[in-house]
Amino acid sequence: MEEKRAPDIIFKCMTSLNLIIILYIAGSMAASLTGYVRENTALSFLQQVNAVTIVPWKIPIAALLLYGGLLFFLAVQNESGLLFYVKTGLEIIISLLISYLLNFSYTGMLLLILADVTRRFPKAKRKFAVIGIICGVYLLSDYNLVSGRYGITALDTYLAYYRSDVQAIMLGLRNVLNSLNILIFIFYIILLIREQMSEKERILSLNDKLNEANEELRLANIQMEEYARESIKNAETRERNRLAREIHDTLGHTLTGIITGLDACVTLVDAAPDATKEQLKVIADVARNGMTDVRRSVKALRPDALEKMELPKALTAMIDEMKKATHAQIEYDCTAALKNFNKDEEEIIYRIVQESITNAIRHGKADKIWISISMEYNVLSVKIKDNGVGCAKIEKGFGLHHMEERLNMLHGSLYCNGEEGFLMEAKIPIRWGEEA
Amino acid sequence: MDNSRKKKNLVMLILGMGFIIAALLLLSDIGRNFPGKNRVITVGAFSDSYWEVPNGYSYQILEDAIALFEEQNPGIKVEYVSGILKEDYPEWLSEQLILGNAPDVFLVPGEYFNDLAEIGALKDLSEMIEDDTGFEKEAFYSSVFAYGMYDEGQYALPYECAPKLMFVNKSILDKEGLEVPKEDWTWDDFYEICRAVTKDADGNGTLDQFGAVEYTWEEAFDSNGVKLFNRQGTECYFADEQVEEAIVFVEKLQKLYEGYNITARDFDLGKVAFQPMLFSEYRAYKPYPLSIKKYSGFEWECISMPAGKSGSNIAGLDTLMVAMNENTVNQEYAWEFMKLLTYDEGIQSEIFDYSEGVSVLKKVTESDQTLQLLIESSGEDSGFNLNVLSNAVENAVVIPRFRNYEEAVAQVDKAVGDIIEGSSNISMEQIIWNRKINNFLKDKEGR
Repeated sequence: MEEKRAPDIIFKCMTSLNLIIILYIAGSMAASLTGYVRENTALSFLQQVNAVTIVPWKIPIAALLLYGGLLFFLAVQNESGLLFYVKTGLEIIISLLISYLLNFSYTGMLLLILADVTRRFPKAKRKFAVIGIICGVYLLSDYNLVSGRYGITALDTYLAYYRSDVQAIMLGLRNVLNSLNILIFIFYIILLIREQMSEKERILSLNDKLNEANEELRLANIQMEEYARESIKNAETRERNRLAREIHDTLGHTLTGIITGLDACVTLVDAAPDATKEQLKVIADVARNGMTDVRRSVKALRPDALEKMELPKALTAMIDEMKKATHAQIEYDCTAALKNFNKDEEEIIYRIVQESITNAIRHGKADKIWISISMEYNVLSVKIKDNGVGCAKIEKGFGLHHMEERLNMLHGSLYCNGEEGFLMEAKIPIRWGEEA
Repeated sequence: MDNSRKKKNLVMLILGMGFIIAALLLLSDIGRNFPGKNRVITVGAFSDSYWEVPNGYSYQILEDAIALFEEQNPGIKVEYVSGILKEDYPEWLSEQLILGNAPDVFLVPGEYFNDLAEIGALKDLSEMIEDDTGFEKEAFYSSVFAYGMYDEGQYALPYECAPKLMFVNKSILDKEGLEVPKEDWTWDDFYEICRAVTKDADGNGTLDQFGAVEYTWEEAFDSNGVKLFNRQGTECYFADEQVEEAIVFVEKLQKLYEGYNITARDFDLGKVAFQPMLFSEYRAYKPYPLSIKKYSGFEWECISMPAGKSGSNIAGLDTLMVAMNENTVNQEYAWEFMKLLTYDEGIQSEIFDYSEGVSVLKKVTESDQTLQLLIESSGEDSGFNLNVLSNAVENAVVIPRFRNYEEAVAQVDKAVGDIIEGSSNISMEQIIWNRKINNFLKDKEGR
């Protein structure tokens, strides 16, 4: 921001300097004229001039008014076509009028216009044509070129009123001021170029940064893809593990029982056929129970009710099925409106309930299960309690571990207690604001 | 672009335009155009005679013209600043021009006309002359009228004039038994008389009676049809044959006096037979008391100039003109007043009453009334031929109008002096000098 102001400050310097020069020349012209009149040498002066001069006091005032007008025009900020050309054209005409007033002894106002055009109108289409025109006018509005044709009197002729040494100083001062104006103009242009170059550099460095970010993004994308692939694999592995566990938990258990029972029967069958009968009945029970378990497992492995129904319906359907399959008594109490969850959340709620019931029946041998779902301050709490055997020390088996992992992914938590029956409580923060 | 910026731009544009219009109004002198202010016409004039002779009627003609004008144009006043001497007048006028207070109508002495026209102080009257059906420029002597021309435009009207005539000391001619030359006399007649009268009359060994004084190359050029410059003053014709003839004649004339330096004082003392002078001198000194004072002891008369080989009996002319201020806001009335001063026969005939010049109107100058007046004032009942006067005015040489005329003439003067004093081939020298003067003219024009 500081740097952007530097050309503006120099531009202000230029406008002030031009004001000083114009006032200086107009003032010395007026002073010379009144001097000629006062000293009665007007005749010899008029014999030197090329045109009747302007009334002395009017020269500085008219020059000031014209310069004021020029400054107002310079303050017009517009980059659009027609107004820009009209404004610049008027500015050139005013400059020529001022120059005419000053007998073309000073034309530096044109540099002011040039500075303004180069600064303010970087986008104007024919900017270079306009700059060319201004330069042309500046070059051609030289006193020596103009005076021959249009009856203009040299400043020197005016200043001839003064003693030759004073004259030299006055003309010298004019030249110094004029050169100063040109120098400031050059300085101004240099600053402007520098500013534009640094602007370009900034854009270049921004471009570099953008490219870097793009590259990072691309890498991250690749990583994401890999991660996605891995997580699919993970899901597969998990599913396989679950299958294995189910098989082990149900078929393995049952078959082990049956095998052990049958082995006992082989030994008993000759000695005590009745006991063997009894034993075979038990084995049949075990096999039947195993069958029930297998059915339940197959049901659990089947595509879920959740995929076909809304969460609340899916839950009640699943609980009803469990009741029928296990003869366990299940009480279900839901106080939260199970709506507007995203897929992850629905899935985990469903799985927690399903898994807990399975666990309670399978491991806890429970015949009564209480399920309650409630919501408190955006945290959904799922509580499952049973009257089974419980366990003094909770060993997180495959199921619990898996549940905890999935809860962690949703920033949730899991609490278990196996002292009186088994109590499990899952808390899930719900992020409605983000997705619903 | 947002609205506030648009608004700001509009304000800036309007303010800028306002300042510029204010500046233009200031420069264009609009203030002087307010109604009520333009009921006064100012006139610039000087108090003494243009012809450098004492005159008791300084503002008489102007006053009469003003009275007549105010009577014809009720409600319009004409004012002038009195008490400005002729010698101060050009300076006064210049100061008024610089200060922007120059009068609407002002007198322009012939020698300042070029400068004033060049710097644009005078209004071009061509259109007004054309549009004014009551104005016939043929009423003026054409030569005098042409004196107010500059660059194709008519920038001034003649007010009064005085042609150059040859003054003859009749007493010397009588004494030598010579006739006063006729109207159409030539250089040969002139030379013969000069040769006859140049002698040592009192026998003391030195020449004390001469043929002519102040008959310079200028008079010789004028009467030999020399056209020295073109109209724009960009070219000099110094190498012409007529120029050579004139130089040869002037040289021949000078040789008669054996190197004596004759002055106008010698004419006053009655020792010289001829001197070219303006007619105004005749008007000033012919009347009885004044003639005693200046030209005592001899009879004198004025006649036309002798004609050169290739020319006629003519000479130059001096004129006082009236011009209009370029910046006048009363153009219409200023023109009317100028017309009254120059074109009105009543006012013009007053020139013969109150001034020493000659009216610029043919009808006035050639009237019986004028003849009567001239004869009365000269105190002689015979001799004066009005034809001499009107011919001299009508056929006067019109000098070209360009700014550096006076300087160019000075160059020619130097050239002629150089050639006469030197001994080399005249036509050769003419070519060399012609080139020099042409260079001078080009140099001046380029500035």
